[in-house]
Amino acid sequence: MTEFEPQILAFACHYCAYAAADLTGSMRLQYPTNVKIIKLPCTGKLDVLYVLRAFERGADGAFVAG
Amino acid sequence: MIIGEQKPLDEIKEIIADYQNLLILGCGTCVTVCFAGGEKEVGILASTLRMATRLEGQNPALSEDCPELCRRVEGVAEGKEFMEATVQRQCEYEYNEEVVDLVREADAVLSLACGIGVQTMNEQFPETITLPGLNTSFLGQPTEQGVWDERCQACGNCTLDKTAGICPIARCSKSLLNGPCGGSRNGQCEIDPEIDCAWQLIYDRLRALGKLELMTEIQPARDWSTSRDGGPRKIVREDLRL
Repeated sequence: MTEFEPQILAFACHYCAYAAADLTGSMRLQYPTNVKIIKLPCTGKLDVLYVLRAFERGADGAFVAG
Repeated sequence: MIIGEQKPLDEIKEIIADYQNLLILGCGTCVTVCFAGGEKEVGILASTLRMATRLEGQNPALSEDCPELCRRVEGVAEGKEFMEATVQRQCEYEYNEEVVDLVREADAVLSLACGIGVQTMNEQFPETITLPGLNTSFLGQPTEQGVWDERCQACGNCTLDKTAGICPIARCSKSLLNGPCGGSRNGQCEIDPEIDCAWQLIYDRLRALGKLELMTEIQPARDWSTSRDGGPRKIVREDLRL
Protein backbone atom coordinates (compact mmCIF):
# COMPACT_ATOMS: atom_id res chain seq x y z
CA MET A 1 0.00 0.00 0.00
CA THR A 2 1.42 3.36 -1.00
CA GLU A 3 1.75 6.02 1.61
CA PHE A 4 -0.85 8.77 1.46
CA GLU A 5 0.57 11.92 -0.04
CA PRO A 6 -1.78 14.87 0.25
CA GLN A 7 -2.22 17.13 -2.74
CA ILE A 8 -1.86 20.71 -1.54
CA LEU A 9 -2.88 23.79 -3.51
CA ALA A 10 -0.99 26.90 -2.52
CA PHE A 11 -2.70 30.19 -3.25
CA ALA A 12 0.13 32.69 -3.25
CA CYS A 13 0.16 36.47 -3.45
CA HIS A 14 2.00 37.86 -6.46
CA TYR A 15 3.90 40.37 -4.35
CA CYS A 16 5.25 38.28 -1.49
CA ALA A 17 4.60 34.54 -1.22
CA TYR A 18 4.71 33.94 -4.96
CA ALA A 19 7.89 36.01 -5.21
CA ALA A 20 9.33 33.88 -2.42
CA ALA A 21 8.36 30.68 -4.24
CA ASP A 22 9.95 32.09 -7.39
CA LEU A 23 13.11 32.82 -5.46
CA THR A 24 13.31 29.23 -4.22
CA GLY A 25 13.49 28.24 -7.88
CA SER A 26 16.25 30.76 -8.63
CA MET A 27 18.15 29.51 -5.60
CA ARG A 28 17.67 25.89 -6.72
CA LEU A 29 15.96 25.03 -3.45
CA GLN A 30 13.70 21.97 -3.43
CA TYR A 31 10.13 21.85 -2.22
CA PRO A 32 7.71 18.92 -2.34
CA THR A 33 6.10 18.22 -5.70
CA ASN A 34 2.71 17.63 -4.11
CA VAL A 35 2.42 21.38 -3.52
CA LYS A 36 0.95 23.14 -6.56
CA ILE A 37 1.13 26.90 -6.65
CA ILE A 38 -1.56 29.22 -7.99
CA LYS A 39 -0.62 32.86 -8.25
CA LEU A 40 -3.14 35.45 -7.15
CA PRO A 41 -2.76 39.19 -7.70
CA CYS A 42 -3.31 39.47 -3.92
CA THR A 43 -4.62 36.99 -1.34
CA GLY A 44 -7.48 39.45 -0.95
CA LYS A 45 -8.61 37.99 -4.28
CA LEU A 46 -9.02 34.57 -2.70
CA ASP A 47 -12.65 33.54 -2.62
CA VAL A 48 -14.05 30.75 -0.48
CA LEU A 49 -15.35 29.29 -3.74
CA TYR A 50 -11.78 28.78 -5.01
CA VAL A 51 -10.99 26.70 -1.95
CA LEU A 52 -14.22 24.71 -2.21
CA ARG A 53 -13.60 24.03 -5.91
CA ALA A 54 -10.11 22.84 -5.03
CA PHE A 55 -11.50 20.34 -2.52
CA GLU A 56 -14.25 19.28 -4.92
CA ARG A 57 -11.64 18.47 -7.55
CA GLY A 58 -9.54 16.37 -5.25
CA ALA A 59 -7.17 18.65 -3.37
CA ASP A 60 -6.52 17.47 0.18
CA GLY A 61 -5.49 20.82 1.52
CA ALA A 62 -5.28 24.48 0.63
CA PHE A 63 -2.44 26.73 1.64
CA VAL A 64 -2.92 30.47 1.50
CA ALA A 65 0.12 32.67 1.68
CA GLY A 66 0.31 36.41 1.32
CA MET B 1 -35.25 44.60 3.00
CA ILE B 2 -36.22 40.99 3.53
CA ILE B 3 -33.71 39.22 5.75
CA GLY B 4 -33.22 35.50 5.33
CA GLU B 5 -30.97 32.83 6.75
CA GLN B 6 -29.86 29.62 5.10
CA LYS B 7 -31.35 26.47 6.54
CA PRO B 8 -28.94 24.05 8.26
CA LEU B 9 -27.19 21.75 5.78
CA ASP B 10 -28.75 18.61 7.29
CA GLU B 11 -32.23 20.01 6.79
CA ILE B 12 -31.44 20.98 3.20
CA LYS B 13 -30.12 17.46 2.53
CA GLU B 14 -33.35 16.02 3.90
CA ILE B 15 -35.46 18.38 1.79
CA ILE B 16 -33.69 17.40 -1.45
CA ALA B 17 -33.27 13.71 -0.61
CA ASP B 18 -35.79 12.47 -3.18
CA TYR B 19 -34.42 14.43 -6.12
CA GLN B 20 -31.48 13.72 -8.41
CA ASN B 21 -31.07 16.76 -10.63
CA LEU B 22 -31.41 19.97 -8.72
CA LEU B 23 -31.25 23.56 -9.80
CA ILE B 24 -29.99 25.73 -6.96
CA LEU B 25 -31.51 29.10 -7.72
CA GLY B 26 -30.40 32.28 -6.02
CA CYS B 27 -31.99 35.70 -5.97
CA GLY B 28 -30.08 38.89 -6.71
CA THR B 29 -32.03 41.25 -4.49
CA CYS B 30 -32.61 41.22 -0.70
CA VAL B 31 -31.06 37.85 0.08
CA THR B 32 -27.94 38.74 -1.89
CA VAL B 33 -27.46 41.85 0.21
CA CYS B 34 -27.89 39.89 3.45
CA PHE B 35 -25.46 37.18 2.24
CA ALA B 36 -28.01 34.37 2.43
CA GLY B 37 -29.07 33.47 -1.10
CA GLY B 38 -27.13 35.32 -3.78
CA GLU B 39 -24.85 34.04 -6.51
CA LYS B 40 -22.00 33.43 -4.11
CA GLU B 41 -24.11 31.51 -1.60
CA VAL B 42 -25.51 29.41 -4.46
CA GLY B 43 -21.93 28.49 -5.44
CA ILE B 44 -20.93 27.66 -1.89
CA LEU B 45 -24.03 25.56 -1.22
CA ALA B 46 -23.74 23.69 -4.52
CA SER B 47 -20.10 22.91 -3.84
CA THR B 48 -20.86 21.85 -0.27
CA LEU B 49 -23.72 19.58 -1.37
CA ARG B 50 -21.61 17.97 -4.09
CA MET B 51 -18.93 17.11 -1.56
CA ALA B 52 -21.40 16.11 1.15
CA THR B 53 -23.33 13.69 -1.05
CA ARG B 54 -20.10 12.20 -2.38
CA LEU B 55 -18.68 11.75 1.11
CA GLU B 56 -21.85 10.18 2.48
CA GLY B 57 -22.10 7.80 -0.45
CA GLN B 58 -18.59 6.52 0.07
CA ASN B 59 -18.16 6.51 3.81
CA PRO B 60 -17.68 2.85 4.83
CA ALA B 61 -17.82 3.66 8.53
CA LEU B 62 -21.31 5.04 8.05
CA SER B 63 -22.37 1.88 6.20
CA GLU B 64 -21.49 -0.28 9.16
CA ASP B 65 -23.20 2.01 11.65
CA CYS B 66 -26.46 2.37 9.82
CA PRO B 67 -26.55 0.25 6.67
CA GLU B 68 -30.16 1.02 5.89
CA LEU B 69 -29.72 4.77 5.99
CA CYS B 70 -26.50 4.53 4.08
CA ARG B 71 -27.91 2.52 1.23
CA ARG B 72 -30.53 5.18 0.81
CA VAL B 73 -27.96 7.96 0.88
CA GLU B 74 -25.70 6.08 -1.51
CA GLY B 75 -28.50 5.66 -3.98
CA VAL B 76 -29.26 9.31 -3.85
CA ALA B 77 -25.67 10.38 -3.86
CA GLU B 78 -24.76 8.59 -7.03
CA GLY B 79 -25.30 10.78 -10.02
CA LYS B 80 -26.85 13.57 -8.02
CA GLU B 81 -26.35 16.81 -9.91
CA PHE B 82 -26.50 20.40 -8.85
CA MET B 83 -26.93 23.16 -11.40
CA GLU B 84 -26.42 26.74 -10.33
CA ALA B 85 -28.15 29.94 -11.39
CA THR B 86 -29.15 33.27 -9.92
CA VAL B 87 -31.87 35.59 -11.19
CA GLN B 88 -32.11 39.27 -10.42
CA ARG B 89 -35.45 39.05 -8.62
CA GLN B 90 -37.12 35.71 -8.02
CA CYS B 91 -40.43 37.25 -6.96
CA GLU B 92 -41.26 38.38 -10.51
CA TYR B 93 -42.09 36.13 -13.46
CA GLU B 94 -40.14 38.24 -15.96
CA TYR B 95 -36.80 37.56 -14.28
CA ASN B 96 -37.45 33.84 -13.84
CA GLU B 97 -38.08 33.43 -17.57
CA GLU B 98 -34.29 33.46 -17.94
CA VAL B 99 -34.00 30.06 -16.28
CA VAL B 100 -36.91 28.25 -17.97
CA ASP B 101 -34.58 25.77 -19.69
CA LEU B 102 -32.70 24.94 -16.50
CA VAL B 103 -35.96 24.45 -14.57
CA ARG B 104 -37.17 22.00 -17.25
CA GLU B 105 -33.93 20.06 -16.94
CA ALA B 106 -34.23 19.77 -13.15
CA ASP B 107 -36.27 17.34 -11.03
CA ALA B 108 -36.63 20.09 -8.48
CA VAL B 109 -35.48 23.61 -7.76
CA LEU B 110 -33.82 24.46 -4.46
CA SER B 111 -34.49 28.16 -4.08
CA LEU B 112 -32.30 30.43 -2.00
CA ALA B 113 -34.80 33.28 -2.31
CA CYS B 114 -37.23 34.38 0.38
CA GLY B 115 -40.58 32.65 0.74
CA ILE B 116 -42.02 34.99 -1.87
CA GLY B 117 -39.48 33.86 -4.46
CA VAL B 118 -40.14 30.20 -3.64
CA GLN B 119 -43.88 30.66 -4.11
CA THR B 120 -43.46 32.68 -7.31
CA MET B 121 -41.38 29.83 -8.76
CA ASN B 122 -43.99 27.26 -7.73
CA GLU B 123 -46.79 29.30 -9.32
CA GLN B 124 -44.80 29.99 -12.47
CA PHE B 125 -43.53 26.42 -12.94
CA PRO B 126 -46.31 24.22 -11.54
CA GLU B 127 -44.85 21.05 -13.08
CA THR B 128 -41.62 21.38 -11.08
CA ILE B 129 -41.46 21.62 -7.31
CA THR B 130 -39.44 24.49 -5.89
CA LEU B 131 -38.12 23.81 -2.40
CA PRO B 132 -36.94 26.34 0.20
CA GLY B 133 -33.26 26.54 1.12
CA LEU B 134 -33.69 29.59 3.32
CA ASN B 135 -35.74 30.59 6.29
CA THR B 136 -37.27 34.00 5.63
CA SER B 137 -36.63 35.79 8.89
CA PHE B 138 -37.95 39.35 8.96
CA LEU B 139 -38.01 42.82 7.41
CA GLY B 140 -34.96 44.54 8.66
CA GLN B 141 -31.86 46.61 8.30
CA PRO B 142 -28.14 45.85 8.45
CA THR B 143 -27.08 47.72 11.59
CA GLU B 144 -23.44 46.72 11.42
CA GLN B 145 -21.36 44.32 9.35
CA GLY B 146 -22.89 40.88 9.87
CA VAL B 147 -25.78 42.10 12.03
CA TRP B 148 -29.40 42.59 10.96
CA ASP B 149 -32.20 44.01 13.08
CA GLU B 150 -35.94 43.83 12.60
CA ARG B 151 -37.48 47.18 11.69
CA CYS B 152 -40.94 46.57 10.22
CA GLN B 153 -43.77 44.08 10.63
CA ALA B 154 -45.69 45.22 7.55
CA CYS B 155 -48.73 45.99 9.71
CA GLY B 156 -50.19 48.08 6.91
CA ASN B 157 -50.82 51.22 8.97
CA CYS B 158 -47.62 53.18 9.51
CA THR B 159 -47.40 55.43 12.57
CA LEU B 160 -43.72 56.36 12.38
CA ASP B 161 -44.73 60.03 12.19
CA LYS B 162 -45.97 59.86 15.79
CA THR B 163 -43.06 57.88 17.18
CA ALA B 164 -40.02 59.82 16.01
CA GLY B 165 -39.38 57.40 13.16
CA ILE B 166 -38.94 54.39 15.45
CA CYS B 167 -41.48 51.61 15.03
CA PRO B 168 -43.11 50.44 18.27
CA ILE B 169 -44.90 47.60 16.47
CA ALA B 170 -41.69 45.96 15.27
CA ARG B 171 -39.25 47.11 17.91
CA CYS B 172 -41.23 47.05 21.17
CA SER B 173 -41.44 43.41 22.30
CA LYS B 174 -45.10 43.99 23.21
CA SER B 175 -45.90 46.21 20.21
CA LEU B 176 -47.23 48.83 22.61
CA LEU B 177 -48.70 51.98 21.09
CA ASN B 178 -48.54 53.88 24.39
CA GLY B 179 -45.25 53.01 25.98
CA PRO B 180 -43.01 52.45 27.71
CA CYS B 181 -44.26 49.67 29.95
CA GLY B 182 -43.03 48.94 33.46
CA GLY B 183 -40.51 46.47 32.08
CA SER B 184 -38.28 49.17 30.63
CA ARG B 185 -35.01 49.15 32.62
CA ASN B 186 -32.19 51.59 31.90
CA GLY B 187 -33.20 51.77 28.29
CA GLN B 188 -33.39 48.00 27.86
CA CYS B 189 -36.32 45.62 27.47
CA GLU B 190 -37.38 43.19 30.20
CA ILE B 191 -37.79 40.47 27.59
CA ASP B 192 -34.06 40.53 26.90
CA PRO B 193 -31.51 43.02 28.23
CA GLU B 194 -29.81 42.90 24.81
CA ILE B 195 -32.88 44.51 23.25
CA ASP B 196 -33.22 48.28 23.33
CA CYS B 197 -36.51 49.52 24.75
CA ALA B 198 -38.19 51.00 21.66
CA TRP B 199 -40.14 53.47 23.78
CA GLN B 200 -36.96 54.70 25.45
CA LEU B 201 -35.54 55.28 21.95
CA ILE B 202 -38.75 57.06 20.94
CA TYR B 203 -38.65 59.24 24.08
CA ASP B 204 -34.98 60.15 23.58
CA ARG B 205 -35.48 61.06 19.93
CA LEU B 206 -38.67 63.04 20.54
CA ARG B 207 -36.86 65.00 23.23
CA ALA B 208 -33.91 65.66 20.89
CA LEU B 209 -36.34 66.86 18.21
CA GLY B 210 -38.25 69.08 20.67
CA LYS B 211 -41.44 67.07 20.09
CA LEU B 212 -41.93 65.50 23.50
CA GLU B 213 -45.57 66.60 23.53
CA LEU B 214 -46.24 63.71 21.14
CA MET B 215 -45.60 61.35 24.08
CA THR B 216 -48.71 62.70 25.80
CA GLU B 217 -50.99 61.89 22.86
CA ILE B 218 -52.88 58.75 23.72
CA GLN B 219 -53.09 56.34 20.82
CA PRO B 220 -56.50 54.68 20.77
CA ALA B 221 -56.97 50.95 20.34
CA ARG B 222 -55.61 50.14 16.94
CA ASP B 223 -57.51 48.95 13.92
CA TRP B 224 -55.58 45.83 12.98
CA SER B 225 -57.66 45.13 9.90
CA THR B 226 -54.74 46.34 7.74
CA SER B 227 -52.52 43.71 9.32
CA ARG B 228 -53.07 39.94 9.35
CA ASP B 229 -56.53 40.30 10.85
CA GLY B 230 -58.39 39.61 7.62
CA GLY B 231 -56.20 36.89 6.17
CA PRO B 232 -53.80 37.36 3.25
CA ARG B 233 -53.64 40.94 2.08
CA LYS B 234 -53.88 42.30 -1.43
CA ILE B 235 -53.42 45.67 -3.07
CA VAL B 236 -55.10 46.45 -6.38
CA ARG B 237 -54.11 49.66 -8.16
CA GLU B 238 -56.68 50.27 -10.85
CA ASP B 239 -54.57 53.09 -12.30
CA LEU B 240 -51.77 50.64 -13.03
CA ARG B 241 -53.75 47.71 -14.36
CA LEU B 242 -53.67 46.85 -18.04
